[in-house]
Amino acid sequence: MKVIAIVSAKGGVGKTTLTANLATALQREGVATLLVVDMDPQNALGLHFGADPRSLAGVSRASLAGEDWGSVCVQSPSGVHVLPYGVVNESDRVAFERHLDAHPNWLEQQLQGLELPEDAVVLIDTPPGPSVYMQQALSAAQVVVVVSLPDAASYAALALMQRLVHTYCTPRPDFSETLYVLNQVDGARQLSKDITRVMQDNLGERLVGVVHEDQAVREALAYDQSVLEYDPQGQAADDLRKCARVLAQRLRLPLAGAAQ
Amino acid sequence: MSIDQRPQADEVADADSHSPQAHWRTVVHAITGWDLWQHPVARVAAVVFSALLMGLVISVPLDLQGQILFSVGSFGAALLLSRTPGRLSTLAMIVLSISASSRYIYWRFTDTIGFTNWLDAAFGYGLVLAELYAFAVLLIGYFQTAWPLQRRPVPMPEDISTWPSVDVFIPTYNEPLEVVRQTVFSAMSLDWPADRLHVYVLDDGRRPEFREFCEELGVGYLIRDNNHHAKAGNINAALKVTSSEYIAIFDCDHIPTRSFLQVCMGWFFKDTNLVMLQTPHVFFSPDPFERNLDTFHRMPNEGELFYGIVQDGNDLWNASFFCGSCAIIRRKELLEVGGIAVETVTEDAHTALKLSRLGYNTAYLEVPQAAGLATESLSGHVGQRIRWARGMAQIARTDNPLFGKGLKFGQRLCYLNAMLHFFYGLPRLVFLTAPLFFGAHVFQATALMITAYALPHLAHASVTNSRIQGRFRHSFWNEVYESVLAWYIMRPVIVAFINPKLGKFNVTAKGGVIEKAYFDWTIARPYVVLLVINLVGFAVGIWKLFSSAGDETTTLVINMVWTTYNVILLGASVAVASETRQIRGTPRVAAALPAVIRFDNGRTLVCKTEDFSQHGLGLSVPADNDIPMGSRLSVSLFRSDEEGVFPAVVTFSGKGRLGVKFDNLSLRQQAELASLTFARADAWIATWGTGQRDKPLRSLWSVIAIGVRGMGQLTVSAVKSLKPR
Repeated sequence: MKVIAIVSAKGGVGKTTLTANLATALQREGVATLLVVDMDPQNALGLHFGADPRSLAGVSRASLAGEDWGSVCVQSPSGVHVLPYGVVNESDRVAFERHLDAHPNWLEQQLQGLELPEDAVVLIDTPPGPSVYMQQALSAAQVVVVVSLPDAASYAALALMQRLVHTYCTPRPDFSETLYVLNQVDGARQLSKDITRVMQDNLGERLVGVVHEDQAVREALAYDQSVLEYDPQGQAADDLRKCARVLAQRLRLPLAGAAQ
Repeated sequence: MSIDQRPQADEVADADSHSPQAHWRTVVHAITGWDLWQHPVARVAAVVFSALLMGLVISVPLDLQGQILFSVGSFGAALLLSRTPGRLSTLAMIVLSISASSRYIYWRFTDTIGFTNWLDAAFGYGLVLAELYAFAVLLIGYFQTAWPLQRRPVPMPEDISTWPSVDVFIPTYNEPLEVVRQTVFSAMSLDWPADRLHVYVLDDGRRPEFREFCEELGVGYLIRDNNHHAKAGNINAALKVTSSEYIAIFDCDHIPTRSFLQVCMGWFFKDTNLVMLQTPHVFFSPDPFERNLDTFHRMPNEGELFYGIVQDGNDLWNASFFCGSCAIIRRKELLEVGGIAVETVTEDAHTALKLSRLGYNTAYLEVPQAAGLATESLSGHVGQRIRWARGMAQIARTDNPLFGKGLKFGQRLCYLNAMLHFFYGLPRLVFLTAPLFFGAHVFQATALMITAYALPHLAHASVTNSRIQGRFRHSFWNEVYESVLAWYIMRPVIVAFINPKLGKFNVTAKGGVIEKAYFDWTIARPYVVLLVINLVGFAVGIWKLFSSAGDETTTLVINMVWTTYNVILLGASVAVASETRQIRGTPRVAAALPAVIRFDNGRTLVCKTEDFSQHGLGLSVPADNDIPMGSRLSVSLFRSDEEGVFPAVVTFSGKGRLGVKFDNLSLRQQAELASLTFARADAWIATWGTGQRDKPLRSLWSVIAIGVRGMGQLTVSAVKSLKPR
């Protein structure tokens, strides 16, 4: 089981969308068992997989009720297993977070408890910036993927992310590395190009890929589809496929045959 | 990066270690590895023994039967050798070929000359001299190409502070700015420390729009107040006002790749006595042969033999010469020989000769790192070759490489062949007309004896050269190229040889449009005349065959076979003169590069280019595309991590294909476009020497087909021009 935390220090970088699309792309590359876990109280990840927006079930409720995670896990039409955050009222959310705060390895233990197959890949979506959720995700992950935008603010925020990783991940023997994805890149804008170049130079191999700004990404969500299904010939879909391929290669993910 | 020049048998041996070819290789390596060969006595003994044997093989007289038997054995050995890998086999085939040819020439001189009247003697000796010329060129050619050096690029030192300063010269005279722009953009994007790279446009046309363009881009613009000595004078004037250690010279239509300097400059670090390094000239537009015969990228073109094999062979003898463009020269030594030579119209080769005479090294690196426009029409092509031929004849007269100080024997021979090569005009015309004069008894021998001696001579030369030149010149094409040019270069070469001062430098026109297909009667006149003469000769032959006594039948048949071959060559020459339409003013380069289209609504489409030019792209898109003509979009092109976005308008939208024209690119965008298209490091390597290998018989068929087509085109044009309008 390979656990990958998708994180960012800043909000609005398209992290949830990226998590969903990357999951689909990885699955299409041949990852046999793919689980996405939403650790963000916005509870938006499920929508990308066609989950019922009125459904209340999720890891938060299940955990508070002491229920098994299996009961809240849904499978998307494309076959990705999804654990939504769920809908909770304010006091339950505070209680849940207090619980997480008290048990720093809670997520890791829960994932272990699922007894997923050896070749399973778990993607964890997190809320932006430091939080108990990110702390849990970082503590459980072997790989951290930092999502950033090609703008000055995001670039400046990378340092904060590195500190968090340094605190929660680096000391653990099972942690392997921090990788980066640059989202919403626009080749027609000079600033975007310049920052992309700086990031490429600084990060080198650790930059898994760039995903270009593409209207199809937004439209896909409106149609309850991943961008790979909605516009397979578009640039974003192509970028995501490339990212998934590089990621699979770097993490030596066992792939079941060729992608469909 | 550079091309595998080796014969196919080597690839077989590489691929399968149990193949007979691989076994042969092991045995050859074992034998050549004997310590015995290192011993001086053994070496001398081997040379003496081989020389005696060779003398015997050349001179021993045989009767018809004996000669046939000997030839069959020798040619059989050559055919077997051609299926084995390695350079030793190539050398052995060369030895067999030289034996067969020498034997023929020896026999020719000892047994076939004994003319009884002056007419026979005149034609007879004429033919002998032509054959002697061909024999000499064959021998020196083998010397030149037996062992191409195949130099590889040397990496640059890691410490960038040691990299020298370079002036890039782009001389121009009357070429349109349109053609020169790309070269300037690419020269600017050369991967080299910016403080040590200086690009200069050397404008002998002194045109204001060039000045403006250069100023806007911030590249140097140099002019002088006269046009003395054309390009050579232009460069020499620029040498006076510039100062970098090295000079890279590009004809204004030769677009360098961004890697040019880094790929080429390493050798100057490794060999401090090196002063000139030349790279191949490749063309992204078809030359008149390729366009009119439809052989572009399907058959090696006329220049490929020189840049694929000959220059690389010269390199072994330290005799690669400067070809005027796509080369680097060190300033200090160039100034030492007085700058670019101005005494002859092939200033480039002459400059290299002068450098060699002073003991400096020259090099050739067979990695295409620039590409240009080919001459647009046959008349332009002929004009260019006339200049080369005239210049080489001038050098042969005024600074003959056989004489004078400073050259090694190998250098003398290589330069001699470079010059001798252009004297083929007269001999070729002799061969094209010789069989017609067999009424005069130019050969004092029976037809069968002639065949038994001449056929091995020709056949050995053919299979041996096919092995050496395989990827760069197909069999029988040499004859086509020579037939086309023979008439035109004959006179200037003779004139220049008699009086080297005559003749002027003509600028080759490029980048034009041929709006309507037409038949160039003016340039085709000599081929048409020769063709008609040969056809008449053939008809007379048939008439004689049926009317006269039987004792000369064999002679007649042999003459008619030769005449038929000449008719085919001339038919092919005629086909070259049939100019096909060239639609685009700026040629498109076929290349499948990753691209992304971005539409007005923010949607995107990942696709590939089919071709690019400086004005637009051909894109391959899904067949069900419904992109309307005239719609505006932007196209991204990539080079590893770099991306360039270019606004464009759809000019063509068809099934699976989209044509776009760039829309008002800024200078900065044009430069970026150049660096992502024409200046790509790998842009020209893919099509270099990767064509089919030569198969002599297949090549013969293609020449025959073209010859027949040429005669058909001639008939159609003749009928058309006779019709009243």
